[in-house]
Formats: sequence, structure tokens, C-alpha cells
Amino acid sequence: MADRIVGALILMLAIGYAVVGSRMVGGFLSDPLGPRPFPYLIATLMGLSALWLLARPDPNPSWPKKEFWLSFGLVLVSLVAYAYLIVPLGFIITTTLEMTLLSVLFGARWWQGLGGGLAFTLSIYFLFTQGLGVTLPTGRIFG
Amino acid sequence: MDILQALLNGFGVAFQPLNLLLVALGCLVGTLIGVLPGIGPISGVALLVPLTFALKMPPESALILLAGIYYGAMYGGSTTSILLNIPGETSSVVTAIDGNKMAKSGRAGPALAIAAWGSFIAGTLSVVGLMTLGPLLAQWAIRFGPAEYFALMVFGFSTLSALAGRNMFKALIATAFGLMLATVGQDPQSGISRYTFGLLQLEDGMDFLIVAIGLFAVSEVLMILEDKAPGAIRAQVGRIYISFKDFTTSITTIIRSSVLGFLIGVLPGAGASIAAFVAYTTEKRILGAKGRFGEGDIRGVAAPESANNAAAGGALIPLLTLGLPGSGTTAIMLGALVSLGVTPGPQMFEQHPNVVWGLIASMYVGNLILLLLNLPLVGLFVRLLQVPSWFLIPAVLAISFIGVYAVNNNPFDLLLMAIFGMLGYLMRKFDFPLAPVLLGLVLGYLMEINLRRALTLSNGNPSGLFVNPISGEVSIIAVSLWVLAALSLFAPAILARFRKQGLGSGDEEM
Repeated sequence: MADRIVGALILMLAIGYAVVGSRMVGGFLSDPLGPRPFPYLIATLMGLSALWLLARPDPNPSWPKKEFWLSFGLVLVSLVAYAYLIVPLGFIITTTLEMTLLSVLFGARWWQGLGGGLAFTLSIYFLFTQGLGVTLPTGRIFG
Repeated sequence: MDILQALLNGFGVAFQPLNLLLVALGCLVGTLIGVLPGIGPISGVALLVPLTFALKMPPESALILLAGIYYGAMYGGSTTSILLNIPGETSSVVTAIDGNKMAKSGRAGPALAIAAWGSFIAGTLSVVGLMTLGPLLAQWAIRFGPAEYFALMVFGFSTLSALAGRNMFKALIATAFGLMLATVGQDPQSGISRYTFGLLQLEDGMDFLIVAIGLFAVSEVLMILEDKAPGAIRAQVGRIYISFKDFTTSITTIIRSSVLGFLIGVLPGAGASIAAFVAYTTEKRILGAKGRFGEGDIRGVAAPESANNAAAGGALIPLLTLGLPGSGTTAIMLGALVSLGVTPGPQMFEQHPNVVWGLIASMYVGNLILLLLNLPLVGLFVRLLQVPSWFLIPAVLAISFIGVYAVNNNPFDLLLMAIFGMLGYLMRKFDFPLAPVLLGLVLGYLMEINLRRALTLSNGNPSGLFVNPISGEVSIIAVSLWVLAALSLFAPAILARFRKQGLGSGDEEM
């Protein structure tokens, strides 16, 4: 059953991809094939395979316990927040917080996570910025 | 060019201090990745690519490092399989069958030793194979035109889809998804923007590193979070030794499995995992009643461990001579090489002899380092498993952040990484193989451009895909590749017969 839902979603993706492709505008001095047929080919391959999935689905996957979805959601939200906060807050603060959160999710006490996270973040920050010349955001609140 | 002379020059490259350091570092990191369950070689290689960019390494040094991680992980994967019955990598799943039985009956030492020696012999044999077969294949492929290249890629994707994962149609969907990602950005010929949805950040296309780190590393973290693997593990190692008798009973198995593994490794899509389990079942069939397979036969460790190392060498052949990677790891190497200004292909042996022969020579050195590293230091690596996962896993993620951010210095990429991480987790749950996505992404551009060139040469006539534009004759190579591509779709049925013999899956990952 689960595979049927996935198959239907993939079929929609393939159709959507082809429709967006057909609406592309512009382009001149192109080759005989142009920019559209290759995407159509991909959409066909994906669409036909999705139809097969609808017809012959695999058995359902084993789903994790309910509590997992809470941590799953938490990790995703924190990753998105990380992307938005890394420039204003800087690499050190955001990465330490992210590592602390993950450590706690993996069963550490918060102070263990904070300690380990801070130590590791500081060491890779200096290793990469000073030693290897990688630029990492220092954070606007410090600059 | 004389092969020996070329190899000698290669050793000149490999023995430069920086490159010696890098091959040792690659082998060490690879072994660590191999030992740690959950962190696969694809993530490991992907995480170190930004480092090669940041240090502005010459392409040969970058490749030497990345390849070291790749075959180093094959060595390391066996350790936890044998000692703890926890395969560090999918390519060592079969090793656990006899290896762990041996460990339980107090023969962990010989099992680890034969794994290291088997890997060493296989690794060395596969380098010899790479050295002799590579230039031959390159000479043959140098005449390839766009039609042949397009057919070659169709062949590559069809074997990959047939062999990666359990359900061929899911692999085809994953391939198509990767190709879709490759069409994002500016169209190579007309210059119009495709599938960017007005986002400037997508104008240059999807970066393979961000997709790889999200799809593999981040989703691995989520998988481990679901499993909640136990924190610290203790294991008895004992003395790593091997008796002369054990060695002589295993040597034919090692050589046979090396050849088999190497040939399987050359095929796109059939990576080290498949090589390991085909070698195991083959040995079991050949030795039959004479062996005690499944109850702790030393040859049950020798076969898969030789085969997976040989396969890693074999997989470099299509990458270097055709520019066609057959696995997720080699796809990342291709992406890294292209970013460093080297496009692998038939001309590579002539245009960049330093890169090719430097790599080959470094692999001889690397195999020796791995043997020296593994025999005395196994105990040390196993102690690493006692680092609690609450520290280790977040640390891997923190390094992923640096890797992704360093690509463009743009936080938008971190957002993409998170999206691909979630997608990767869902794909794993629904049993979609991940490697085809990466291959589709890395090869999509070349596939499209060759298709369009072929059809431009024939003025839009579809016959251009099968006919040489200059001579007007039918291209035998292109036609046979199309036939092979069609035939390979029957491979799952053949593989299923192997699987029936009491073995689990030989999955993707590689």
C-alpha cells in the first residue's frame, strides 16, 4: 500500500516535471533537439517505472516507533534553523547548539552534549579556518 | 608509451612527500570509516572532497587521497564483521557469516589476518589488472563518438538499475531522479534556464557534493537515530596471526575471488557488495563438501574480503578510461576531478599521465600501508567503537556542515542539504537505492550533451544514435552497447538465483 502512494507521488512528479519543461521559454540558435526532449525522456522513464510500482508494489516498510518521528522532526527543523542562523550567529554558536541537540537525542545528558559539542566545534573551527584556510562565518553579533 | 616507464614515472609522483602523506591519510581515514558502522565510504569520500578544494590540491593528489579512503574502507569493513557480527560496510556483510563464527570459537586472530592478507593480495592483483587493462580499454574507446558515448551511458544506467537494490524499477526511478537534478540550471547549448524556479542559487545547477552529503551522510544520521545503536561495545581481539597451513588452504580462494571480484567491479553498478557475495557463493559451490562454509571456514572470510578489494580496483577502470563511474563513490571522484579541471576519459592516459599513473603507483603503496596498519593496529581501531555514538554521530554531522558550506560559502546549500537528508531517509525506508541518484546527477549533463551532439550530426535524424556520421556506416559498438543494455535488465533474475542460496542482500552503497 505504501508503495502505491509513493508510486502515485512519483507519477505526479514526472508529469509535473514534463509540464514545467514544456513551458520553458526562450532559447535560440539551438541544436535540432533543443532543451526539452531530454527532460521528456526522463519524465517518461520515471512515469513508466512509477506505473509499474502502482501495479506491483513491494511489501510495506517497517515503520519506526512514534517517538522517533518527534526526534526526526526536531532534527529537520533544527537543520533548517541552522541554515538561517549560521550567518547571523556564526559557526561556533550554531554548530555547538546543533551538536548539543543531537547528542541529547542520541541519549547524552545535556551538559555532556554541550561540553562535547563545544569542544569539537572549537577544534574543527580553528583547524579549518586557521589550518586549512576555509572561510566560516564568525557571526554578525561579533562583527 | 611504455607501461613500465609510465609506472616508474607514476612512482615518482606517488613518492612525493605530500602524496605519500595523503595516501597514508586516505588509508587511515578509510579504515576508520570502514570500522565505524553506519558511516559509509560514500559519505567519507564526499566529506573529504571539500578539503581537497580548500587546500588547492593538484588533481593527482586529490585522487590519491580519495581512492585511499575508498579501498581503505574495504579493509576496515571486515574488522567489525568478524569481531562483532556488525558489518562496518555492506560489502562485508558476507564476511560476518564465517568470520564471526571463527571469532566465537576463538579464532578471531586468523580471521582478521586472512582478511588483511586477502585484501592485500587482491588489492595488488587488481592494481596490476588496472594497469594492463586500463590503457587497452582507453585505446579502444578513443574512437568513441557522441553516439557511442550516449549508448555507453544508457548501458551504464541499465546495469546499475538492474544490479543496485532489490527492485529494478525503484532503481530506475532513482536514476531518473538523478537525471532530473542534472537538468536543473542553464541548458548547456541554448543557454536558457531550466527548472531553477527563479532561484539564482540554482542557476549553476545542483552541486553533486551537497546532494551526496545530504543524501548519504545526513540520512545515515537519521537512520542511526532510528536504530539507536548501543553506545559502547567491547571486543576481544587476541593475537593477529596466521598459520602457514591456513594460508595455503586459502591462497587459491584468494586468487580466484580476486579475479572474479575485479571483473565484477569493472561492470557499472555491480560494486564491491555484489562482488563479495558472488565470490562467497562461488567458492561455496566449488569447494562444496570439502569446505565447512557457514560454520567458520577461513575461506569464507578470504573469498568476500579479496573480492571486495579487487572490485574497488576494477571500479576505477571505467572511471578512468571512459569517464563512466559505476558506483556512488566513483561518481563523487568523477565530480571532484571535473571540478579540479581533469575530465576522465580515453584521452586521460595521454593528457594526464601523472594523475593516472600516480594513482596506480599510490595504490601499490596504499595496499602495503594498509597491511602494516591493519595487522598490528586492529585492536586500536576496535577501541574506537567505544567512543559513544552521542558524540561520534553529531561530530560527523558538524563536519558535513563545513563540507557543504565550503562549496559556495552560501547558507542556501545547507537548506538543500537538509532537504536531501530527509529525502535520503525516506528513500532508504522505501528501499530505493541512493547511488543511482548520484550517478544520474553526475552523468546527466554528459548524457544529454552527447545525445544532442549525435542528433546534430545527423540533422535530427534518430538514426544518428546508431550510425557513424562520417563513414555513414552502422556503428557496431553503439549497437552492441544498446543490445547489452537491454540484456542487462535480465540480470536481476540471474542475481536472484544467487541470493536464493541462503544469503541476504548485496545492496548498493558502493
